[in-house]
Formats: sequence, structure tokens, C-alpha cells
Amino acid sequence: MRIKIRGISLANIMTPFVIIAAAMLITSALIMTTGANPLNAYYHLLTGVFSNIIDTINRTVPIAFTAFAVALGIKVGLFNIGLESQFLMGSLASAAAGAYITGLPSAMHVPLCLIVGMLSGMLYALPVTAMFVGKGANLLVLQLLFNSIGTLICTYFIAGPFAGENPAVAAMPRIQATAQQPNLINGPNKLSISILFVILVAFAIWFYLNKTTGGYQLRAVGDNADAARCAGINVKKYHFWVLLAGGGLAGFAGALDVTGNFYRMYGNYSPGYGFDGIPIAMLANGNPLGMVIGAIVFGALRVGSVNMQAKAGVSVEIVKVIQGVLIMLISAQHFVRFLVGKYIKNSERSGKA
Amino acid sequence: MDIAIKMSGISMRFPGVLANDNIDFNVRRAEVHALVGENGAGKSTLMNILYGLYIPTAGEIEIWGQKKVFHSVPDAMRAGIGMVHQHFMLIPHLTIADNIVLGEEPCKGNRYLRAEAVKQIEAVCNKYDMHIDPTALVSSVSLGVRQRVEIVKALYRKAEIIILDEPTAVLTPQEIDDLGRVLQKLKAMGKTIIIITHKMQEVMNFSDRITVLRRGRIVGTVSTDETNADEVTQMMVGRSVHLGGDRKAVSIGNAVLRVENLHYHDGRVQKIKDVSFDVYEGEVFGIAGIDNSGQKEISEVITGIIKADKGQIIFDGKNITDWQTEKIRHAGIGFIPQDRQKSGLALGMSVRENMILGYQNLPEYKERGFLLNQEAITKNIDNKIEQYDIRLSSPEAVTRTLSGGNQQKVVVAREIGHATRLILADQPSRGVDIGAIELIHKALIDARNEGKAVLLISLELDEVMLLSDRIGVLHSGKLMGILDAKEATREQIGLMMAGGGVEHAY
Amino acid sequence: MNQSIIFIMIMSMMRLTVPIIIAALGNMYCLQAGIMNLGADGMMIAGAFGAALTTYFTGNVWLGVLVGVLAGGIIGSLHSLICVEFGGMQNVSGLGLNILAAGVTTFLCRTVFKSNMTPSVKNMFTTPVLAGIPVIGDLLMQFSPIFYIMIVLSFISWYVMAKTVAGLHIIAVGSDPRTTETAGINVWRLKHICVITCGLMTGLAGAYLSLGQLDRFVEGMTSGKGMLAIIAVTIGRRKPLKTVAAALVFGFFDALQLQIQIKNVLDLPPELILSIPYVVAVLALLFGSSKSMDKVNLNPYVKNKYEF
Repeated sequence: MRIKIRGISLANIMTPFVIIAAAMLITSALIMTTGANPLNAYYHLLTGVFSNIIDTINRTVPIAFTAFAVALGIKVGLFNIGLESQFLMGSLASAAAGAYITGLPSAMHVPLCLIVGMLSGMLYALPVTAMFVGKGANLLVLQLLFNSIGTLICTYFIAGPFAGENPAVAAMPRIQATAQQPNLINGPNKLSISILFVILVAFAIWFYLNKTTGGYQLRAVGDNADAARCAGINVKKYHFWVLLAGGGLAGFAGALDVTGNFYRMYGNYSPGYGFDGIPIAMLANGNPLGMVIGAIVFGALRVGSVNMQAKAGVSVEIVKVIQGVLIMLISAQHFVRFLVGKYIKNSERSGKA
Repeated sequence: MDIAIKMSGISMRFPGVLANDNIDFNVRRAEVHALVGENGAGKSTLMNILYGLYIPTAGEIEIWGQKKVFHSVPDAMRAGIGMVHQHFMLIPHLTIADNIVLGEEPCKGNRYLRAEAVKQIEAVCNKYDMHIDPTALVSSVSLGVRQRVEIVKALYRKAEIIILDEPTAVLTPQEIDDLGRVLQKLKAMGKTIIIITHKMQEVMNFSDRITVLRRGRIVGTVSTDETNADEVTQMMVGRSVHLGGDRKAVSIGNAVLRVENLHYHDGRVQKIKDVSFDVYEGEVFGIAGIDNSGQKEISEVITGIIKADKGQIIFDGKNITDWQTEKIRHAGIGFIPQDRQKSGLALGMSVRENMILGYQNLPEYKERGFLLNQEAITKNIDNKIEQYDIRLSSPEAVTRTLSGGNQQKVVVAREIGHATRLILADQPSRGVDIGAIELIHKALIDARNEGKAVLLISLELDEVMLLSDRIGVLHSGKLMGILDAKEATREQIGLMMAGGGVEHAY
Repeated sequence: MNQSIIFIMIMSMMRLTVPIIIAALGNMYCLQAGIMNLGADGMMIAGAFGAALTTYFTGNVWLGVLVGVLAGGIIGSLHSLICVEFGGMQNVSGLGLNILAAGVTTFLCRTVFKSNMTPSVKNMFTTPVLAGIPVIGDLLMQFSPIFYIMIVLSFISWYVMAKTVAGLHIIAVGSDPRTTETAGINVWRLKHICVITCGLMTGLAGAYLSLGQLDRFVEGMTSGKGMLAIIAVTIGRRKPLKTVAAALVFGFFDALQLQIQIKNVLDLPPELILSIPYVVAVLALLFGSSKSMDKVNLNPYVKNKYEF
């Protein structure tokens, strides 16, 4: 007897939560080995989040976009792990467009920066995409290599041609006021309009995948590329555009980050947003609402961890650890689901007995 | 002991399925015993239990009168049982010798004594008068030779009992005769042989006794001399089964498909060598041939999935040689591909969505040019479920959950349902239970009766002869001849399948 | 003048190629057994950090190497557990291990040393013991002991794959686990051994980075070398000698970019020069034919007892 809620088995629903809980436990163990108190750490994490909700929402934006990019990839049957460098390229290009182009009104400058960011993300994704679709080279290894190369390119530009006014700090010049996004909420913690983009794009992707013929074909390619080919669907076209779209989404996110948040790009800036998207997209199984919620959680993690480092002495790097543990557990998803299912069956049995 | 194998009360339960239900099965020393049943009857499961691949949920096994429990394949091998699987268990880029001795290599400590292995294998080959080259790579030899390698593998491990699972599926009629001779020789040397098959020809020709399985249960065991093919089929299916559809006298119309001088090279081998044939309205044109004679390539060239190097394809007077697959489908050619799970269905999507796969861009399934017309799609699936008696929990069910037969029904329903002019059916009854085969045959013949053209490709010669009006025989990418189905004999076709006897009745 | 440049290049190449060769050999086993390992970087960095940390606290270099090796082995065991035992997604697991190992090592480094690198530790740049050998002693001693371990490992790997029963089994298990299982071979034990060996060896490669090449651990010091190792294995068709050859090529380009930077020969920004090995790797992937007959079966092969 399988318990089903709206057609989805209980085991399937519980598994993501079990994975998250396990990740928290493991991370707590690591914190303890350094002599810190995990509960204390989490307390400061939470206080950090709630005292700074607006910043959390700001962080949500780029993370949500990378989650969308990963989810789109999964739907077409590909694993997209090159987003980190595509994000950086988007940041770089839009920061340049924002800082060095003058004389444009805000209504033109902001969209320009955003578009430039999106295009550079796509452009940076192009070589890998072409090599994969054209020659069948190993996508994942290529993406990882290009991640490394991308970091080097950014470091070069920020130290060289795009160097900022203060030589001691590795950063680009501040973008013009006209390039800064309008804000929904002004003040020391501002909420730019970026968040609206998230909602828009989430809806657009959901609609495309489920309601249009194109989305149907994309899903068919993801499910069984051979059957799609036999049905006359151009598999390579969908692979190509989804990978480019991923680059575009990541680049766009980078542009949003620069024009809405920091107003400049820093060197050594590798926030790891590109990798947050992976566990979120996989845990949420491509569900747009789930991904937005996941992005909020991860955004909260990042904001709170700063406070956690300041007050509880736990390094912000713990976020990377959580990322890693989550991804590891997700890779064993089937097994976790199997265990959860067994646990449910056993408790049913003992319940009846 | 005269009883080689005694299986008592064997049951095998998998999640959701009782594959073997309380089976008693005996095999005598030095006999050739055929284990028959239709697809899914449980024959392979039973033999896999005997070979140590599965541990039965209930029951006992006795070998030569001694009770045995097999926890693994080596256990069974130690008891003298060897098995030749339907899909050969050979590693292509290792040598034949490596493959034969794998797991029991002659070695000194850790060092593998290759030369010694070759010597030992040659000794076994001489003893049983088998001919193979131990130093050749498995990937370089033919399927017939690979089967011989599998048999030598069993003999090398001193098997006294040899099980063969669907041994003739990939052989030409001549190679089947060779196999029969090998089996008789082994039997004369005292070996006990079990063959699992669903092909009546081999059953009647090779076996001494026949045991019939149906839906996991034993129906009975008979002596081959005392029965005939029809009786055995009746036992296998449990009811009279009418394969071949309801044929009506139909006048042949215009040529729907003209294939002219097709050539195709896949980068390694010339797969299609100057093939030409026509298919007319109101007929079934069947293509016979052993596996890998170019059938898949011909289907894929016709449907635009691959492009021929030379030649043309004319459809209803239009040259479709360079057309895209989707355009060809929309023009009225339905295509049932060889491997439904690989090329025919998106198993993770719902049955409802699979029912329009390939046809999603037809105007009737679209709204405003880019949206899915959900109503039309629902109407389509509802119709097809009824028409083809597809068993599923709901149209939204994930296609993977359907049985093999029902999955094939989905593909057949979709393709025949949307094809207005020609149906290309490549192995439509492969791996499918008799009930579904009956229905698929009926659907194909009904289409023919309505004046559509049917191009049937099948490895089952019986099926080709039963359904076709005319038969083309393929060998190594070449069309050896085209025969009138009413007059063609099995021998004639068999000869052509093996490369001899070119004939053109048309 | 030219001669000594070539000499310096060769010496540099030999030194820089050590971690890549060791990691490549380790990953060769893993890939040949049918498990993809995107987590090579993670194994390496765990090894690098473990080695540096241990040497810092104990003052014993060899103990550091040992711990580095074990650290890599632990990461390898995790990968093995998920991929071989549970049949999990190999690519995701590998990626996760990279992130996890990077995260844990950085976290610990910052927590313990309050910086993104450890202080300088005892190193094993050279092998003084060899200095006594006549004629070539002075030359030989300039290489780290781990260099010599690498040579031994290369030879062992060649012998195992070409001459032993175990090598035959590894090839079999990677091509067709089902057939191999019916031959009576414990497929899972063999795969476990291969993946964990990969972890141990890649951990050794990492230990070389922090003890044999540099004298400390620096955050992110592996910077993609694990990926280069994997590519070397792919190009070398998973054969020991060809893999070593491919790894040497990467070592050459690594040495090249280092020399270019040191000598300031080209007036290019350092980052562009640093990217040379990666660009070469990309080109190698692009032009390396993937149409080989001997493909490995990377599908998970799950035990019956986990019925899902």
C-alpha cells in the first residue's frame, strides 16, 4: 500500500526534506569539530537573515536564475555546470557597459547593461555548446575547464583594462547612476526591481514547457533523445538553444547583480551562485515555485552566514560545505527514496500490528 | 541417475509479478528438451534460476538426484550447468580466449597465462569438433561464430547440461541447420540439452520432448513424436489464436512508395547496396532477412532519419528523398520503429503525450500556432485506448508502467492511426505477447484492406509469410529477389536470406 | 644558453607533471572500471590539505603524505559508496565531491589558520639520500621522493593492466558488468577497489602539490589539475602508457607557461598564460576522437538487493 498525496507517493515528497535534514546534521557535525556550537551558529544565522530580509531577496535573484538555467537543462536531458563562469562574464560585461558608457538616459542604460550581460553569458556558452553539439565532446569536462578559464579572464580584465580607481582593491569602477536599476524600496538596504524579473521568467519558463508545442518537444528530447529524433524533432537544435539560454540566464543574473546590488564588479568574486542552482533545481524537480523557495533559502544562507561568521566565528565557507553535502545526497536520491519508502512501509506495518 | 534435472515446486516472485508459479520440471539424461511458451510466459526466468542468476522464492532443485542450492552462477557451473544466453555474454574487445576463460583463468599467482589459455581452449575444441580461433577478437567474428564461442565456453567449464535461450533468433536458416547438427553431436556425446524457444520449427525439428509454459505455470510435457506444431501452439496460448488479421480480396492500386537504387554506407560497412522496390495501395510488402541485413537503415532512409548516399524515394509521385522526418510523417507515412523503448516512446512522459509524438505539429493539435490543443490531444488518446484495447491505469499514466505489449500497442495505435497512405512496420511483434500480436496483425491487415500500403519488416519468417502479399528478401544490404507470397517456399526464402538463389518473380 | 633552457624545461616538466601522472593513473582504474570521476579535483585538494595540515602539526613529512593519501581515499570511498553501492548519479556525485572537498578544506583552513593558506611546512622537494650515487646522484636528488614513487606506480599500473588477471577483470567489469558477474567475479568489490584506489592515488597527487611542489596548502591550489588528469586518461584510451604520455603533454604545457611567466618572454598578462594548459585540454577534447570501439559502460549496475 503506497500512500499517495495528489498522485505523488509519500516517499517522493518526503525525500527532499530528508535530504535537507541530513545535510544540516552533517554540517553541524563539521561545525562542532572546529569547537564552535552549531546551535549558536544557526541562531546567529537566522538573526542575520531576519535583520536583513531585503538583502536576502536580493541574493535570491541570481540564485533563482541559475536554478532556472539548470532546470531547463535537466528538462532537455543535459547537466549544465558551466553557469558560474557565464554569470561572471555577464557581470563583467554589464559592469563595463555600466561604467564606461556615459550620456544615456536611465531608461536606455539599464536595459542596455542587462542585455549586454545576457549576451555575454550566451557568447561565453557558445564555444562549449558548439563543441558539444557539433562534435560530441564531453560537455561536463568542457564546462569545468571553461569555468577555470573564465575566472582567469575576469581576473585579467579587472586587474588590467577594467581596473578601478583604487589600485589596492581589485575591483572595477562604479557604474554610472543611470545604469543602476530603479528600486522598489529605497534606503540603506535597497530592493531593486530584479525580483520582478524572477517572477516573470519563472512563469515564462513554466508556460513554455507545459503549454506550448515547443516545450513539449523539448521535454521529449529530454526524456528520450532517440525517440525524439525518430519522431522528427531536431534534437541538436534543442540542445543548442537550451545551453545558450542557460548562458543567457546566468549572464542576465550577473547583470542584475551588478546593476541592482553592488554597482560594481569585484575581483576574486566567485560567489558560487552557479553551483547553488544545481541542488535547488534537482530537489525541486523543476517546479518553478519550489525553485524560487529554494533560491530564497539559499539566499538566506548566504546573508545569514555573514552574521554567523561575525558573531559565532563560523566561516562563511560553510555555505560551500552545505552545497556540497546537498549535491552528494541528491546524487544518491534514489537510494534515499528507497530508504524513506522502506521506513514508511515499516511504520505502516507496525502501526497496523 | 537418469534424471538430469528435477525442479519441484519452483516459484519466482518479482515485485508485482509472479513469473514462475509452482513449477515441476524434469529433464532426462542425454535428451534435447524444448521449453516453450510465448513472450512473458516465464521460460527464461525458470532457466535463470537453474543457472544461479536468481534465487527462487520457493521450490527445490535436484541435479543428478542430488539436492542443490545455487546462490550464484559459479555454483551452477560447478554442478555442470552451462548457459548460452539470447544476448551473448561476451566482451567485444577482448579475445575469444579471454572471454572463454574469464573468471577461471589459467594463472600463476597474479599473472595471466594467455598462451596456456589458448592451448586449453584448442584442446576442448578438438574434443568436440568445434572450430573457432581463440586469438581473434570477439568484435571481429560473426554472430554464428559467437554462438559457437558461447557453447565452447560452457564445454570448457565441463558442462554436462547446456541451456540455450532463443538460440536461433539471430541465425540464418542454414546456420540453424548447423546448430541442429552441433546439438545432435553433443547429445551423442552424452550431454543434456535444454532449448528455450517460441519457434515451432526448431521445437519440432530438434527436440525429443517438449514442456509448455503459460503465464508462469506448466501446461504439460509431451514427447515430440507424439504431437504437432498446432497442438503445441494451442497449449502455449490456451485458446485458438487467429494471427494474420482478416484478409480481404483487395485490388492493388497505384504505387504509393517507389524505392529506387538506394545506396548507403555507414562509415564502416556498405549497409544498403542498390536496393529497389515498390509498394502499392492495398498490399502488404514484406521484407525478410536475418538481423542486420540493412532493414534498420532502409527504414531510416525512407523516413528521413538518415540520408542515402545514392538513390531516390518517390512517395505518391513526389520525390521525398531529401525531406525531413516530420514532413514525411505529416505527408502520411507512419513508422513503427524496431525498438519501441529506444526510438518509439518517451517512457517518462504520459501515454497521452506519447500518443502524438511525431505529430505534435499537425494543425489539429495546435492552438494559435504555438500552443498545445489539449482538447484534441485528449480526444485522440481516448479514441486510441478504446480502439486498440490499451490496458493502463489512466491516460496520464507514465508510459514506463505499461507492459511491453501495451507499450507496443501505443506505438502501433499512434502510427497506424495517423498514417493516411503508408505504414512502415519494423518488427511490430518483437517481444510482445500473443494477444497483442493478434491485435497488431489485425490492425495492419485492416489498413491494407482500406487501401493503404504496408511495408512490413520482420525477422520472423513466419510472420512475413503470413501477412505479406509480396516478399522481398534482404541479404547483406542487397535485395536478393521479390517473390509472390502465395507461391514462395520457406526453403526458397531461406536460401536467399543466406545469399544464394537470386529470383525475380516481379 | 639554448641547451640549458631545454634542460630547465625538461626538469620543470618532470616536476610539474608528477601530480597529473599520478592522478591520471589513479583515474585510469576508476574509468576503466566504468565509473566517471568528476571529483578528481576534490580528491586532490583533500590530499593537499590533509598533507599540509598533518605536516604542520606533526612536523613529519611522510606522515603528511600518508594522511594526504588517506584523505583522498576517503573522498574516493564516498564516491564509491554512492556510485557503486547505491547506483547514484556519477556526474552529480563527482561534482558534489569537488564542491564539498573545496568547501571543507577552505573552511578548515580559514578556521584553523585564519587565512586562505597554511603557513609554510616542511617539504620534500628533493631526495638528499640519492646524492651519494656517483655521476647522476646530483641530478637524481633534485626530484622529490614522490617523483620516484610515481615511476614505480607507472610501472606497476602497466604490469597490472597488461599482464595480470586483475587487469583483465577490470577491463571486463567496465565493458560489461553483467557478463563479468555471471563469470563469477564480484563486480562490486572490484569497482569499489578501483574507485578507492583512484582516491588514494589522487590524494597522493594532492600531497605532492602541498609538500613536493609548494611548501604549503593554498586555497584552490589544485585549480583544475584533476580535470586535466581525466582528459589525459580519455586521450590515452585508458591504457597506462598512453595515459602517462598524455599527462606528460599537459605537464609540458604547464612548464611552458611557468617559464614564460618567469622569463617574461611574452608581454602577455599572466592570466592568459596560466590558461594555456586549459586551452590545450579543450583542444585535446575537441580533436580527440570519441569513436572508439572500446567504449566503457558507464551505466550504474545495481545489486538486486536494492530493488528500485
